[in-house]
Amino acid sequence: MSALRMPRVASVQFKPFKAKGWGRIAFLVVTSVLMLVPMYLLIISAFKSQQDILQHPFSLSPDQLTMEYLRKAATNPDFNILKGYAVTILFVVSVNVLSVALAGPVSYVIARRSERRYRMLLLLFVAGTFIPSQVLVIPVVYTLKFLGLMGTIPGFVLFETTLTLPFSIFLYAGYIMTIPASLDEAAAVDGAGKHRVFWSIVFPLMKPAVVTMVILNTFSVWNDFVNPQIILGPGSGLYTVTTGVYAAVSQYSTDYTVVFPTLLLAVAPLLVVFVLLQRHVISGLTAGATKG
Amino acid sequence: MRARLTTLSMVGPALVLFVVMLVVPVCLSLYLSLTDWDGYSANPAFVGLKNYVSLTHSAEAIRAGWVTLLIAAVGTVLLSVFGLGFALLVNGASRLNAFFRIVLFYPHVLSALVVGFLWSAVLGTSGVVNGWLTSKGAEVLPFLSDPKWALASLIAVLVWAGFGVNVVLYLAGLQTVSKDLLEAAHIDGASKRQTFFNVTLPALAPVVTVNLVLSLVTLLKTYDLVVSLTGGGPAGSTQTAAYLILWDSFHNNALGFGSAQSVVLMLITAGLALTVARLRARADRGVQG
Repeated sequence: MSALRMPRVASVQFKPFKAKGWGRIAFLVVTSVLMLVPMYLLIISAFKSQQDILQHPFSLSPDQLTMEYLRKAATNPDFNILKGYAVTILFVVSVNVLSVALAGPVSYVIARRSERRYRMLLLLFVAGTFIPSQVLVIPVVYTLKFLGLMGTIPGFVLFETTLTLPFSIFLYAGYIMTIPASLDEAAAVDGAGKHRVFWSIVFPLMKPAVVTMVILNTFSVWNDFVNPQIILGPGSGLYTVTTGVYAAVSQYSTDYTVVFPTLLLAVAPLLVVFVLLQRHVISGLTAGATKG
Repeated sequence: MRARLTTLSMVGPALVLFVVMLVVPVCLSLYLSLTDWDGYSANPAFVGLKNYVSLTHSAEAIRAGWVTLLIAAVGTVLLSVFGLGFALLVNGASRLNAFFRIVLFYPHVLSALVVGFLWSAVLGTSGVVNGWLTSKGAEVLPFLSDPKWALASLIAVLVWAGFGVNVVLYLAGLQTVSKDLLEAAHIDGASKRQTFFNVTLPALAPVVTVNLVLSLVTLLKTYDLVVSLTGGGPAGSTQTAAYLILWDSFHNNALGFGSAQSVVLMLITAGLALTVARLRARADRGVQG
């Protein structure tokens, strides 16, 4: 993971294109404006009427602004956003807990045993990162039907957890290998069982790797669309934030007094998390991007 | 014996879940791709490689294949050019650079579904930009309603939403370029340009390769953004492979055919991902040694 850490080094002396000061800054400012315009439109349009959105999209005069549409979107009968938050947070928490509970111990075994079969086991898990989940979900529907779990919360949580296993195990096993085995041997001598040794000695030392995975899983579960849409389906009445947005927005796609407030409510929590934890989020999501 | 049971209790749960939810479904896909199953009937017939043969004749599947490859190829080049270009511009530990890095990265935090809806509200025929153009008396621009424009818009939005990750990866790579070499080049009187092409770029080579293959693998799976930005249209012109696979499997009830397409897509992405894994291992070794 060495290449992935966010650059923190004071590498001021090294700038191949020393695009002399102001030119560089001006260019970056223009780019930043282009990057931020959609977000600006999203935020201000959530407080404006359809006519104002279309005729004066960029203007921000106080007499145009109203809370009415945001309030309507928050109490939309087609999609209860508060329930959407609750359902999504439930999924995020369950997947994170289950993922650590399952991936932690198996990674510990893989990292501490040198037999060939444990190396093969690691390879098997890592091979899972190569399967695109949009395509995997199709046969999974039939596996879940067979198990009687299709359209249920446990079915969805188990599948989402499975998707987190390959990269978690890859990351955790690699991390545990950097923790001296003498620590757990000492604890074993004192009579602690393997599970105890792992959870009370090794696990607390894995914090950086666990934080990375929790961030990655939180964002990928929150933002996932295809899996909840197909596994939970409209029939179950269970909407996550994204499937709820799909249900609410695709129906009224040109009524912007519905579209913008709903989208704003959908992204607001993650944007707040991002602003609060930028460095962690950036390195976590970038680590995830490299899983391929 | 006891130790064995303990090990089993640590490995078992994860392994069972992985096999049931991933290994078995992948095998099921392989099997279904050899049948004519519609998703309902009790006795799907075994048809051998027929689905794979019809894949090579299906105009729709071939077009989706080309669209996907085009998105992947053009998108990958743009992501890497923007990624490296902006990494060079925001490299260095100033506060301003940290701010720019966050601004370039933030769209990646949003779900692709929301990004697509947002941009379709901005670019749609009756969207914000066109509403504004109309109110100024100008012509409406067909960002999403003309096949060629729609594909270009799709790629542009993918790049807008994704290149921040490439910036971060290249920034990490830039930290590994030997300071001694850069200094030596400077002392020897090399120009900025010469230094970049003769020192920085060769040192970045492994990072460039990793970026290219990662972007390719990610773009080959493009799905959510198609759903929310263009809905695959106009007239199917922005249907990607993943979009068509899900469409064939669940709306057209052609599960066998959809599975054959899945298997092909899986093989292609797995092949590329394996390449990246090997390249990364080499790059990491290069960094340490």
